[in-house]
Amino acid sequence: MHLGIFKITYNRTATHFMDDCFVNLGEEMAGERNPASCYLDERTFQLCCQLFLQHSETIQDGWSWEQIKGTDEGFMKKTVLMPVKPSVLHKQHEYSIQDENMVTDDIQANVEDETAGVQAVCEIHAVLRYEYHVLYSCSYQIPVLYFRASTLDGRPLSLEEVWSNVHPNYRQRLQQGPWDTLTQQEHPLLGQPFFMLHPCRTEEFMKPALDLAQAENKRMNYIVTWLSVVGPVLRLDVPLSYSTEVSAPD
Amino acid sequence: MADDKDVLRDVWFGRIPACFTLSPEETTEREAEPYYLLLPRVSYLTLVTDKVKKHFLRVMKAEDVEEMWLEYEGTPLKWHYPIGVLFDLHASNTALPWNVTVHFKNFPEDDLLHCASNSVIEAHFMSCIKEADALKHKGQVINDMQKKDHKQLWMGLQNDKFDQFWAMNRKLMEYPTEEGGFRYIPFRIYQTMSDRPFIQKLFRPVSPEGHTLTLGDLLKELFPAAICAEGGWHQR
Repeated sequence: MHLGIFKITYNRTATHFMDDCFVNLGEEMAGERNPASCYLDERTFQLCCQLFLQHSETIQDGWSWEQIKGTDEGFMKKTVLMPVKPSVLHKQHEYSIQDENMVTDDIQANVEDETAGVQAVCEIHAVLRYEYHVLYSCSYQIPVLYFRASTLDGRPLSLEEVWSNVHPNYRQRLQQGPWDTLTQQEHPLLGQPFFMLHPCRTEEFMKPALDLAQAENKRMNYIVTWLSVVGPVLRLDVPLSYSTEVSAPD
Repeated sequence: MADDKDVLRDVWFGRIPACFTLSPEETTEREAEPYYLLLPRVSYLTLVTDKVKKHFLRVMKAEDVEEMWLEYEGTPLKWHYPIGVLFDLHASNTALPWNVTVHFKNFPEDDLLHCASNSVIEAHFMSCIKEADALKHKGQVINDMQKKDHKQLWMGLQNDKFDQFWAMNRKLMEYPTEEGGFRYIPFRIYQTMSDRPFIQKLFRPVSPEGHTLTLGDLLKELFPAAICAEGGWHQR
């Protein structure tokens, strides 16, 4: 039943897991047959990332590790050039003095555009630069996805433009909760404005995958599973080979 | 700590006298007078500077006005930090009032978050509360509170209502007596001398041997540079 729910909701096969980095079950669960913990400690996060990065290297997927000088902390990052429909860029960050409902109105307009099925015959695409960072949150003990987006001439995208570029399938879900959403945040390690996908729902979609892996006695790379779910929301592609290939460190 | 009401009141009612001056780079129709305001240390700049905005808009044309942002001696002020933290970080060694420069153009996109409305501030504030509770109680207390309780917490801050705020915050500051403290202490050590805005790590308030730990213990373990060899204190 878990597998069924996982498949329907996320449109992915849940049966392939990277067979090397195992999920830390947490000290309170040693020796017991409890449901697997959805949380991971920082060391496991780093190990999962290292294995992820090895495979990225193999398929030239462009991920790299950034170490914070003088510490044992770091994060994964990747920059992508992304062609988008020009309509994504029409939402300039317009500041007006009475401005409360602007964001909602623009989102509504975009949803209507997409569903109206009106397409220009010959659309020239704009190219955006997306930079994704995978960080570890010690407060929530899970990974978090940060990103920033700009045009090729360096103009940063507004929140409204970033919203326009969220896959239509995910927009409605993201609008539901005040905390389960996309917001501008200060990058905790670089101190610059980024966008962040709130981590509150992580447990909800990681739990079925973790329980399944445990039931089948398989070991799973947390980062591969997690990024495969959250990445597509922000147009980040995670090739299926991550889930099937074993990057054995020998 | 939640028993010491006098300390809580002193913290809540802490104020910083500030003088707001319009940047000479801004285009005005007539001369702009500086505006003086007492800023609550526990609040956020964008929440308490509506009057500042209105004051300067009176001497400006609408087409010259974009999102207001504030700066101190060339450094853009991050509205999402509590006012008291900003003052202590940037200006605590200088004479009062705190001289802040007001801008309406050339928003520093690489330094500051946008703040389109009060709901952005509310979302940020509640997000901080939630993260702190994740550390203190695994999020159990905040998640057990109702939406109206969250709203009361925010309204207490927004409207400067100590009793309204603490009626709710009290629950977030409790812990079972047998535990001896929170699971982890929510703290951030802010610094100006690095790209990294703050240091935040997991820290248990009780040692494995059962001793209650102090702020000094925390600093010794996580930021020893703040304490110099003779046992005194470095500036910032």
